Amino acid sequence: MNREQLCQLKELMALEFTALELHLYLDTHPTDQRALMDYNSVVQQLTIARQRYQERYGPITYGEPSAYPWQWINEPWPWEICYE
Amino acid sequence: MYSPNDQMRLARAYVPFQIYSERLNPMEGLMKGTIFPELYFPYREHKR
Amino acid sequence: MWVYEKKLQYPAKVGRANLQMAKYLITQYGGPDGELAAALRYLTQRYNMPTPQAKGILTDIGTEEMAHLEIIATLVFKLMERATVDEIKRAGLGGYYADHDKSLFYVNGDGVPWTAAYIQAKGDPVADLHEDMAAEEKARATYQWLIDLSDDPDLNDTLKFLREREIVHFQRFGETLQIVQEYIDCKKVY
Repeated sequence: MNREQLCQLKELMALEFTALELHLYLDTHPTDQRALMDYNSVVQQLTIARQRYQERYGPITYGEPSAYPWQWINEPWPWEICYE
Repeated sequence: MYSPNDQMRLARAYVPFQIYSERLNPMEGLMKGTIFPELYFPYREHKR
Repeated sequence: MWVYEKKLQYPAKVGRANLQMAKYLITQYGGPDGELAAALRYLTQRYNMPTPQAKGILTDIGTEEMAHLEIIATLVFKLMERATVDEIKRAGLGGYYADHDKSLFYVNGDGVPWTAAYIQAKGDPVADLHEDMAAEEKARATYQWLIDLSDDPDLNDTLKFLREREIVHFQRFGETLQIVQEYIDCKKVY
């Protein structure tokens, strides 16, 4: 995996992690409006980042379009990547 | 929800509720394992 | 249902191959306080939770534990990659090799296979949430002992991430416990 792709993948991880943290917080604080607003804005950024990543490097989840040939099975798989 | 001022009763465990104020930026949060500064309690390695 | 995401939750690195650490670390794959036990415990307890917050948090933390299981698998895989049979023997993994070669398998550090006896679903939401909070603390301690055992800064970087997640999960289960206790108290007042 080249530097550029790895960099974008890590950014995706970071945004998704922020969304998850707020998600868990909201599970036990469903009426915290500030957290909810923050969550919604992070999710918006995440959607854009994920879209951009998938357009360049192929699908990373189900229900996403693929170029020919079927890109889902493209290596490396997550455990094969050198995250250096 | 129980606030610390409420009467706590015996034979029961209490964990205070987190109150969200600020968060770390996404990359710093990922590197630390939490985006919440008030929940970040790193382990200090030591000779055992 | 569940949907796979073809990415890790955290960029899991190891500095060098290290069979001894692989042997210790696999306990977080299939040991008593490991990620498989955590995921399966939370995901099976959720059906009997009385409040929406509790159903949500057990579903979501249970799901995150599956992502941690994948991180542990990745670390063990990388630690064992390219190891020779001789090195495997020297690290005390000869028995593991005989049964599994270098496949990932659900065992603890001594090769004892995972068992459902590690977990419980009691049907009493307060009892279950106490078990969950204890499980997070035990997993946190395990990560600390693993960090003590390791001298690889790259490996420790990921172990510290996983350790911190246990703390956040403990907080969420603690908050859930307050919500559930309050709900049960209200129900008792007629």
